[in-house]
Formats: sequence, structure tokens, C-alpha cells
Amino acid sequence: MAPVATSWTRQSAGVLLFSALVAVALLGALPVEAQDAAKEPAYRSFPLIGSRLAVWAVAQLHLNFAAFILGVPIFAVIIEIIGWRTGEERYDWLSHELVKLTFAAFSTTALLGALLLFLFVGYYPRFWAYMTSIFYPTYGVYALLFFAETFTVYLWYYGWNWLRGSRKWIHVGLGILSNLFGTAILFVANSWVTFMMSPAGITESGALQGSVWAAINNFTWMPINIHRLIANIVFGGTIAAAYAAFRFLGAKTDEERARYDWMGYIGNFIALAAFIVLPFAGYWLGREIYAYNQTMGITMMGGFMSWLWIIQAILIGILFIGSNYYLWLGMERIPGSERYRKYVPYLLMILAAGFIVWATPRSMVVTLDEARVMGGTHHPVLGFLGVMSAKNTAVNLMILTTFLSFVLYRRANRISAKPWATTGMALQWLAFAVAAAVVTFYGVYGYFVESIVRIGFSVYQVLAVLGAIVVVMAIDIPMFKGARSTGTIRWGTIAPRSQYVLILLAVTFTWLMGLMGFARSGIRQHWHVYGVLRDSSVDAVTPALGYAANMITAVTIAFFALVMFIFWLGGLGEKGAAEGHGHAPAPAIAGGSDPPA
Amino acid sequence: MRLPVGVKVAVFSLVVMGAYTYYANSIPQIESKPPQELSLEGGNVTPAQLVKAGEEIYKTKGTCEICHKIGEKGTRAPDLAGIGARAGKMKPGMSAKQYIIESLINPNAFVVEGYPPIMPAVDKPPIALNRSELWALTAFLESLGGTVDVTLNDIPATAGAAASAAAVAEFKIPGDPKAGEAVFAGKGACIACHKAGKLGASPVGPDLSQIAKIQTPDYIMKKILDPAGAGTVAGYPKGMMPPTLGQTLTAREFTDLVAFLQTLK
Repeated sequence: MAPVATSWTRQSAGVLLFSALVAVALLGALPVEAQDAAKEPAYRSFPLIGSRLAVWAVAQLHLNFAAFILGVPIFAVIIEIIGWRTGEERYDWLSHELVKLTFAAFSTTALLGALLLFLFVGYYPRFWAYMTSIFYPTYGVYALLFFAETFTVYLWYYGWNWLRGSRKWIHVGLGILSNLFGTAILFVANSWVTFMMSPAGITESGALQGSVWAAINNFTWMPINIHRLIANIVFGGTIAAAYAAFRFLGAKTDEERARYDWMGYIGNFIALAAFIVLPFAGYWLGREIYAYNQTMGITMMGGFMSWLWIIQAILIGILFIGSNYYLWLGMERIPGSERYRKYVPYLLMILAAGFIVWATPRSMVVTLDEARVMGGTHHPVLGFLGVMSAKNTAVNLMILTTFLSFVLYRRANRISAKPWATTGMALQWLAFAVAAAVVTFYGVYGYFVESIVRIGFSVYQVLAVLGAIVVVMAIDIPMFKGARSTGTIRWGTIAPRSQYVLILLAVTFTWLMGLMGFARSGIRQHWHVYGVLRDSSVDAVTPALGYAANMITAVTIAFFALVMFIFWLGGLGEKGAAEGHGHAPAPAIAGGSDPPA
Repeated sequence: MRLPVGVKVAVFSLVVMGAYTYYANSIPQIESKPPQELSLEGGNVTPAQLVKAGEEIYKTKGTCEICHKIGEKGTRAPDLAGIGARAGKMKPGMSAKQYIIESLINPNAFVVEGYPPIMPAVDKPPIALNRSELWALTAFLESLGGTVDVTLNDIPATAGAAASAAAVAEFKIPGDPKAGEAVFAGKGACIACHKAGKLGASPVGPDLSQIAKIQTPDYIMKKILDPAGAGTVAGYPKGMMPPTLGQTLTAREFTDLVAFLQTLK
């Protein structure tokens, strides 16, 4: 029996509907508002903290919630499809559990979005009037999509029991449809944000020239669409995994622990799978920023923001090492994994070396005397590791290593029964070796060519890694079909510290999102719309990283406090109905599976 | 005593975020400040002062240093050491200053072999140097191995037009704020409706105590001269502000008043 909709979720739905109506009404009123704004002061001052901090806090919170509610349904519907096709009830439970989490956060997202709009209209009226003069036609589309998304999610969530059995395909279709609407909403909102970074389709004075499509389809629009879409999946996965970890740590029974251990594994698996391709989307975005404006690109990577990428490297290094550590800990609950544990120290060494290289700054913080001794601010040896050639090589090798960890985890309790298994494994190792060799070759070669040539090398490195992933999986899937089992995964017996790793990943990724948001917004410097509408407010100074970090931490704390509150509220309604779904020891997906005996 | 899971998780998360925040506060702290506008038109300036101002622009607002090094071969853009001497030989019939000016405002007219055509026109946004700044920058580049002979008249009158359109942030009001305070409290009678810091207390019109923080100088000037055209602040009655200040105040009193309002932050 599926969980019933509680009175709390009905109230939440009411808030959601109300929020949707408010947002749509507000969007409809925007043209009038914008005309009035043109006569209004350029800026108003928000009490106490100032307008910039108010917008920053609400925008970051809104993005965090939006990323969660857009990311989770993508894999929730995939899990539902797996459950539908395999007949495994537990997948259906997990999918419903995930959608329940997003549903609880849906109304908060809408309310924060409306609040952000109020702040723009109220405190940055001239800026908003300008944006309206360009993007007015998209407001109606956004409003319609918002309605469509709201009602589809409603039907998806509340129709869970109604659309079972032979009508399940309709339910799955609703899930897919809600994802399509959600993605479209993301794309529309991204057009506004990316226009501010890389305006297009306008005259020199900033007026719209021709169709609004040219303004939408600016240089950074599609790269950010893809980057955010993937990042949302990672983010959703880490938050879902952290939720499972929290429930695991507080679990009273073995059954509950097993259930949330499995959920945490799935969340981390999804996050990791998407995370592996995220840097490639980042490369594309970076390249498009350079293509749009060299000055902006150089300011981003080599100007006042250059140290931001060192912090980013540390955070991503922690994400890589944390994800791998979780997999290695997880292998301890898989009988038969002993044979692969000998590889772990080597994997750790590669990851640690990659982490160190990636986090090496090009310029050191040194005293004048130290600089004289070194002959500059670049360390004579380590300075060579601080450039893109070394860093691209490091991150690609870390991705390969992480993928190898996953491959070992995946086959931990399985022995291939195929006669060609030895050849298959040899080919897999060869694919790894070729990819590592290509990545290293272009990394070293990059030191001997001009930067304009070197930038192109990262494409070859990326293709080599992606190629290896495809080849290895193309062999792995048939090779382990019908494999012999060395034992069942002992869900729930994983070390509790693994759950703190999941929480670490969620906190780190959320913080990283805040940092990347600062990078995206900060590279505009003293422009609301780069090169078109100048920021002439008292907040036109782009703050230093320490200030930004303080702000990011404050908002991240607020986000997690809100999330915990919302999940706690969601859990209230669950009490007494927790046994709604049958929960036998959970199976695994895409890796930690229990193969047929 | 066993700590509740929620407390343990919260403390763990705070420690993680605290570590990130601490690190971010430990590295070099660099702000990006909006560039100041430089105006030399009508002013007496020596070549040495001009070169010094140009060097400052080269390193800051002009963002030249990001790609161009002096005495160091760059991969993105040519080394500018000795450009003052070389520039006169780059294009036949073009003097050093003409070549430099063309390179600044129309960089794709001649691209040095071996380098990509990536230089932006520096008189256009987002760099948006004005004529004075172009003059100073040209003088600085001429000084790198050549003779400084550029005058303001050498800079095309159309150059930097986009800069003035986009850059509304920084310019000095030539009035006297103290005299403006007297206008505010006296002849202008602004005090009858507006509060400005310690001056005035009437709630009839908006409080101007932080007007410079939330408004641009052009809005303030327009609001004084054409109150209805500049719109009425929400929540206040329309048509209350007298439209005659443009006629009753002298030009000096007007600029003094604006200068005073600009001090209210």
C-alpha cells in the first residue's frame, strides 16, 4: 500500500497553489510595474543589511531550493520507471519518497522566487525596468510553464495510488512531463541571468534589436542551461543522500537502517554519475565566456577572481575524495569485495596527488624577501603545477580514478560467468590506460605550445576520458549479466562514518554552488548588464572572497535549517504510516546489485 | 550523555563550513572597485602628470595589463616595451600617436602577426575609457621608448562617447556642499518638506538623509529641475514639489544644492 497524502501535504499544496497564483499575478503586473519603475529612483536601500545582501541571500536560497526541486524529479522518474519495468516495489517507494521531499520544498521555492521578484522591483527598479524592456515576452511563457509544472507535479504526487497497475504508464508520463516543464522553466530563467553576463541582440545603447530570441540565445545561455541541469542532478542526489544519512543515523531498527543505507547509496550514485560529467560542462561554459569577451574570461581566470578557483579546486577535491571514500566504505558490506581492497591505497594516492596539483596556486602569497629569493611570486618548481595544463590533467585523472572505484564497487560481489571475461577485463584496463596516457600526453605537451592551442587540448583530454567510460561500461554490462554472486549486500551494516561523508558531500556541494553563483555574478563586476547597464549604486564594488565566503556560509546555514525544518514537517505526517510500503532488505541499482543466484 | 543525531549533524556541518570560510578569509583579499572617471579637459596638465595618469589607467581601468606585459613576451598580446619607438614604423604614413590611438579605439584595423584578434575597443563598454583617459593612456604608451607629443585634440571627438552614456557612477559636482546646505535650509525651502540628516523633520516629502546612497546625481538634478517628469516617490502625494526651482535658484545655488545632497549617504 502506498503512503497516503497527509493533511500537512495538502496544506503544503494549498500554499503552493497560492504561491503560483501570486507569482503569476505578479508577472502579469510587471509591465505596469516596470513603467512606473522608470520614473522611480534607480535604487532604494534595504533596511539594515542593504539591497545587495538582501538580493544575494534570497537569490542564493531560491536557487538552492530550485536546484533541488528541479534536480530530484529527474532521477525520481527514472527510478520510478525502473520500478515499473522490473516490478520492484521498493523502487516505487524510493521514487515516491524523493518526490515527497521535493513536494515539501516546492512551495518554499515559489515563495522565495516571489520574494526575489519583490526585491528587484522594489530595490532595483531601473534595472528591472530595463530587463522588462527586453524580456517582457518571456514573462507570459514563464507564467504558463509555472502553472503547467505546478499542476503536473500535483497530479504526479497525488495520483500515485490512483494511477497504479495498468495506468502506471500515465503516471510515469506525468513524471516525465513535469520534468520537461521544470527544465523549460530553468531555461527561461537562465535566459535572464545569462543576458546579464553576455548580453546579445541589442543595440549599442542597449535597446532590443529585432526578436527577443537573440537576447535569449546569448553566448552563455546554453552552456549554463546544461551546466545547471547537470549540477541540479548532482545537488538533488547529494541532498537526498544526506536526508537518507540523517535518517540512517537516527534509525531505530535494522530494517530502517537498511532502507536508508540503500537510499543514501542511490543518492550518492546519482550525484557521482552526474558529477563526473559536470567539469566538461564547466569547460564549455568557460570557453563560451572567453568567446564572448576575452576581458571577462581573463578577469575570471587570471584577474581578481583567480583565487576563487583554488577554493573551487579544494571543494571539488573533497567531493571526489569523499565520494570515493564512501564507495570504499560501502565495499566493506559487500561479501567478495576483499579481492579489490588492495587497489584502494593506489586509488587514494592518485586522488591525493590530483587534489594537490589542482589546489596549487599559480602565484604564492609571499613576502617581498621571499619573492626576491624565488625570483617572483611563482614558485620555481610548484609554480608549474599551478597552470591549466597540470590542472586539467589532474582533474581528468581524478575522474578516471573515481570511475574505476565505481567499477570495482559494481563488481564487488559478482564474478563474471562469460567465457570471454578475461579478454573483456584486459580491454577495460587497456581503455583506462589509453585514456590516462592521452590525458597525460596532452597535459605535458600543453607546456610547449601557445595558450590558444593549449585550450583546445582540454577537448582531447575530455574525449579520452568519456571514451574510456563508454568503452568500459559497454563491456561491463554484458560481461556481468548473469554473473555468479559471492554474497548479498548487507544493507544497513555500513560504518556510520560513511553517513557523515554523505552529509559532507551535501554541505560541500551546496557551498560550492554558492561560490559558483558568486563567480558567475561577480565577473560582471560593476555592471548589472555587462557593458550595457552600469551599477551606479553604493554596492557597485565586487567584494573579496572572504566577504563572499561569509555570506555563502550564512545562506548555506539558512538553507539547511530550512531544509531540515521542511523535512521534519514532512516526517510528521509520515508517523504512523511508515510501514505503508513493504521494505524487505533493499536491492541495489546500477552497481551494488544483488545478482540472481 | 548521548547527543541527539540532529545536534551531531549540525555541529559537523558547521565545522565543515567554518573550515571553508576560514580558508577563504586566509587567502589574498582583492576587491574589484568600479573605476573612477578621469577628466583632464580644460585643465593644465604636464606631460609627466599625463604619463603617470596613463600608467594608472594601463594598470587599472584600462585592464591592459591583463594581456600586455612590458618587457615580457605574452602569449595573448604583444610586449609593449619600446612601443613608443616602434609604433611610428608599424603602418606606413602613420605616426606613433596615430597608430597607438587607432590600436586603442579600432584594434582590429591592424593586428600584430602571430596574435589573435582579441583586443576590445577600449573606448567602448565594458572598459569605456573617455577622451581624457585615452589621451593619458596614449601618452603613457608613447613614453615607452618614444616622445610624448599627443594632445587632447588628437583623440577623435567621437571616441569615448559610449563611455559617457554607460558610465554614470562617478563624477564630481563642482558646487560647494556647505553653501548648498544653506540653500536647502534657506532659499530653496527644501527643509519645509524634506529631512536631511539633522536638518528638518517634516514628513511631507521623502527623507533625503541617504539620498546619495540610493540615487544617482542625474536623477537628483532632474528631480529638482523637473519634479513631475522625474516621477513621484511611491507613498507621497503627487504635485507637491514646486516646479519652479529651476527658475528661482541661480546656477551656482543649484550646483551647491546638488553637491550638498550628494554628501547625504
